[in-house]
Amino acid sequence: MSNAVMERTPAGEHKQRHTRNLAEWSRRPQLPDTHYVDTRVYTDPIIFREEIEKIFNRVWLPVCHESELPNPYDYRTASVAGFKPIVVVRGPDNKIRTFLNICPHRGNIIVRSPAGTLTKAEPSGNPKHMTCMFHGWQWDAFGRCAEIPREEQGYQGRVCKADVGLREIRTEVAHGGFVWVNLDDNCEPLADYIAGAFDFMSQELDTEPLEIFHYQKSVIRTNYKLWHETSREFYHDYMHYHNRATGMLQKGYFDRKYTVFPNGHAATGLTTIVYEAYEGNKDRVLTFPGMPKNGWKQVNIFPACTYSLRASCLRVSIMTPISERETLIEIRGLGLKRDTPQEREERIIDHDTIWGPFGRNLHEDLLAVQNQSIAMREGSGSKYLIMAREENSTIHDEIGLRSYFAEWTRRMGRMASDPTRLLED
Amino acid sequence: MTNRELDQLQQVHELVYESCLRLNAEDWKGYLDLCDPDSFRYRIVNYSPEIRREQCWMDRDFKGLKALFDLLPKHNSDHSPLTRHATVYKVTFDESAGEASAITLLSIYRTQLDGVNSHFESGQTSLFAVGKYEDRIRLGNGTGPARLLGRTVRLDTRQLDIGSHYPF
Repeated sequence: MSNAVMERTPAGEHKQRHTRNLAEWSRRPQLPDTHYVDTRVYTDPIIFREEIEKIFNRVWLPVCHESELPNPYDYRTASVAGFKPIVVVRGPDNKIRTFLNICPHRGNIIVRSPAGTLTKAEPSGNPKHMTCMFHGWQWDAFGRCAEIPREEQGYQGRVCKADVGLREIRTEVAHGGFVWVNLDDNCEPLADYIAGAFDFMSQELDTEPLEIFHYQKSVIRTNYKLWHETSREFYHDYMHYHNRATGMLQKGYFDRKYTVFPNGHAATGLTTIVYEAYEGNKDRVLTFPGMPKNGWKQVNIFPACTYSLRASCLRVSIMTPISERETLIEIRGLGLKRDTPQEREERIIDHDTIWGPFGRNLHEDLLAVQNQSIAMREGSGSKYLIMAREENSTIHDEIGLRSYFAEWTRRMGRMASDPTRLLED
Repeated sequence: MTNRELDQLQQVHELVYESCLRLNAEDWKGYLDLCDPDSFRYRIVNYSPEIRREQCWMDRDFKGLKALFDLLPKHNSDHSPLTRHATVYKVTFDESAGEASAITLLSIYRTQLDGVNSHFESGQTSLFAVGKYEDRIRLGNGTGPARLLGRTVRLDTRQLDIGSHYPF
């Protein structure tokens, strides 16, 4: 059956335009290896487990903001790199430390609440300690074991408090006061890993303390990379009416440059947005230090974090992969700690208009990545994703995706365009 | 309870339930007809134990809410219908102001349509969110019917899947 028409390409060639049969559909794109991805990188559980081992167990990951634990003995629990439970604690010395939240005795979770203070005693423990409710073992805010009930009677010196401190995890606080952890004890310092990717946002982030005002999370049926990729390509502006109305019509919008950094990070340059062009929105008056009115900047940190600073509010999106088809997405909104109540209210409204759970863009983004996962489920017939737009590194260039998969390939030792091919091949 | 008090109670019940019926029907204009255009304020809030503070996820006045409804056709939404199941638990009256406050327990169900694989999942209903309405109501009198002056949706549910373009 022939269903062909002739088409003249922008390059002036004449090509036959037609539908494709199975063999044609399955054929690799006629593009460089770096310009497309085999969809098995999103669906294969073996590749997923390898990503946890080779990427998430070895890179710096943001887990929360320092304002979530403002006082000594405050804590925050989370999970990183799949299901590794952690507890972040601010010690009496005001230093923030992170520990694996697993009791070394019988493997129970120690601190169960999402957040709180250790100054209050648990039913079976003392104040200022983390207590495992199971057998009453306790640790201080430095992670040192402080109590083993009937220690001497039961262990006769064979097991003692000195042997059973918590597993401490490398922790640094940086880039707007976020708490970053790395599960690899021998990892490079955070600054080396970031490799300057935050430099063009450092004035906004680090001139004065920030404070969280918004936290939401969802377990979404999608691969974590797909969510991160929505932040790394702006070609999907066409999905968002908000972007079409406020950004794409503005002069210079398409000139905004993408910059790639070592270790897979990528940043988009400053642009200004006419927010009031979206009916019902107001001009954004508030900004961050050094940020022009209505400005917008974004930094994507490999493998699963995005900072997006839209004029009055900072959104930080963090993904925790659960399986090849499930991702915990956490979204935080932040303003300046010194905000007046009126300023804070204004920032919150600005934030929620786009990124809240009822926001205009977030819902569309989540809908898209969930549907991508449905479409490219194993056996669905999905084969390749194309990331071949080249527009001199400007905003609809897909260089952000290509830089991501270059780093992914380097760390995994597999080609993203053909994950059965090892790099040494 | 006097006839007047019974009448006022009935006004509150009818207004709250009618607002749910109109939202369920996606009759946005009809919903706004139940709201006072000069003073209506709509908010969705919750308390987050993760960051240990109250947070607001939507804040609109009448005009802002109308703009939001008007722009819905331009957005790519999950069109799964939401069904609000409400029970008015408590009504208190401020006779001097001619106003009432009502607390209504709320469950919201989502019947899948196109947000997921429609062949497999459309038609499935699941509980989407629970919470309550905290309404401020101007009672009807000789000059007009009862109207919503303000609605705060206080959510217990803090994970809303892919979220929603539709207010609760």
